[in-house]
Amino acid sequence: MSALSIVAAGPGKYVDWGVIQISVANLTIIGVMILLFILALVVPFPSHDEQGQRKGHRR
Amino acid sequence: MTRDRTPDSHDFPTRPYDLVKEFVIALVVVLVLSGGLAAIFSSPDEKAITMSAWAKADPDNLVTTAAGELAGTTTSATYGAPYNTNAEGQKLGPLPLQKWGGVRIPIDSADLVLGPLSNISGDTAVSSAVATWKAATPEQRTKWATAYVDAIGAAAADGEPATGAGGVPAKVAAGDYGPVPALSAGLLALANTGGLEGALTSSGNFYGGDTTKSLLLLADGAYLEDQAVAQNLGGDQWGMMNEVGNAPGQPWMWLYTFWYQVKPFSTSDNADAEVWGLMMLLTLLLMFLPFIPGLRSIPRWIPIHRLVWRDYYRRVQRT
Amino acid sequence: MTTRESEPSTKETADPKNWTNRLRGWLEGLVPRGQALPDRQPVYVASWIYVFGVLTLTSLVVVIASGCVLSLGGTTWWHVSSLGHYVNSIHLWSVELFFGFMVVHLWGKFWMAAWRGKRALTWITGVVLFGVSIGTSFTGFLSQSNFSAQWIAGEGKDGINSTGVGAFFNVLNPGQMLTWHVVLLPLVVGVLTLMHIILVRRHGVVPPLDADLEG
Repeated sequence: MSALSIVAAGPGKYVDWGVIQISVANLTIIGVMILLFILALVVPFPSHDEQGQRKGHRR
Repeated sequence: MTRDRTPDSHDFPTRPYDLVKEFVIALVVVLVLSGGLAAIFSSPDEKAITMSAWAKADPDNLVTTAAGELAGTTTSATYGAPYNTNAEGQKLGPLPLQKWGGVRIPIDSADLVLGPLSNISGDTAVSSAVATWKAATPEQRTKWATAYVDAIGAAAADGEPATGAGGVPAKVAAGDYGPVPALSAGLLALANTGGLEGALTSSGNFYGGDTTKSLLLLADGAYLEDQAVAQNLGGDQWGMMNEVGNAPGQPWMWLYTFWYQVKPFSTSDNADAEVWGLMMLLTLLLMFLPFIPGLRSIPRWIPIHRLVWRDYYRRVQRT
Repeated sequence: MTTRESEPSTKETADPKNWTNRLRGWLEGLVPRGQALPDRQPVYVASWIYVFGVLTLTSLVVVIASGCVLSLGGTTWWHVSSLGHYVNSIHLWSVELFFGFMVVHLWGKFWMAAWRGKRALTWITGVVLFGVSIGTSFTGFLSQSNFSAQWIAGEGKDGINSTGVGAFFNVLNPGQMLTWHVVLLPLVVGVLTLMHIILVRRHGVVPPLDADLEG
């Protein structure tokens, strides 16, 4: 077990907003997921599609 | 309904793509991520609560719970199916789903106390208390136990004044409680030795392995819940999503636990059945989304897809 | 020297009443020839959003592999061994990654309306997989033999008992929960994952919206 174990026993940190109450850990995970989704949409995907392209054909 | 005019994907121009290499790269990425996250953040492992820990931390509550099991007033005693027929159970609208399951895990709450105590030898106080209880009629047993539970009462809480002895068995007024005080104290003593959960779980069978009785007794008391609520794991604390300490929990349970935080579910006796029913409905809607007009057109109305396929749209515009 | 009787039958001469032939024919027809592991993709498959499916799949591989290592040591190994605890941590974090990638994959597939072109079953198997995965992780949490397992069992029983299912699926019984977690539910996840991937290979990656006016 790592000495850096941040999730060891100890009170968890929570964020309150109206009826919503969420742990910092969970909020971070959700935040990272949303960030990944946005990045996946906007970051260009390397496609060398000018080379090796072939027409489709009916099966 | 418009005909689905999606063309065959095989009719489009193609380009080289290495699926196996993509899989291997993804596997390496996940191995590095999980190995790294595991090394840095580890995983929580808070030791299970023992009956002995409960007995030492809150002996009054354990005694009170034992008396409640004998009186048939605890949560498990008044649960209904699958443990007993002492309640109708929850309904989803008119449907008594809980009752339909049937009493397939029969638990007699008094047995949670008498079972472990009946096997004790060498403690004449407990043995004679057990014998007295077993010789009495059901009506007499209920009278003794209910009187003792009422006499113990409860501490002041939530704006309600204290009742009885304020939840302190040692301060109970004199009365006719039969063998109940001795039985409750006997269970506390057994818990202190560390032998209670073993007696409940193995119950004469060497291997045991089914902790139903121990967990029901533990959940009937306040200690388990107090420890959980202190860590934000309670039902009205979005607890289904959470873990102990700072560990990540189950963020994907957010919608399931959300309903418990708001009316009408937060004040409903049938909250569990109703939330489950609602979530099943929402899951079915998600599952059959392709067939639901309106919902299935949302991707057209909010064209996030134009980002995904921007290279293709640009190419098609050019030609 | 071979005789006529020992030569394998060709498609043209295959006996349609032969169960083996029918099964082989069905298996061969599941995915178009060359599309099970193609080395080419349609040109519109050009976005990072497409990697979240394979990230989900590889996360599942690590979940199962770390689970197998935990099984080597038994249910209490990780409480007493630092190696066991590390493997448990990998199991936990690969599960978090699995769900994280799966949900981003779901978001992507929704906004791409990926059920078009006879792909409704692909979508449906995906949603069912999501639900079954949640159930699998639930039985996993119940198998931790620690305080979390106790509390989750006590709370979870109320939800499940309210539906009547608790009479058959006893969350207070760690032995039962463990066998569901390690045997039954992974089998279901495995079969559904196989179905889901075969369906993707069968129909190919869904074309862009409004590409239906072309090609």
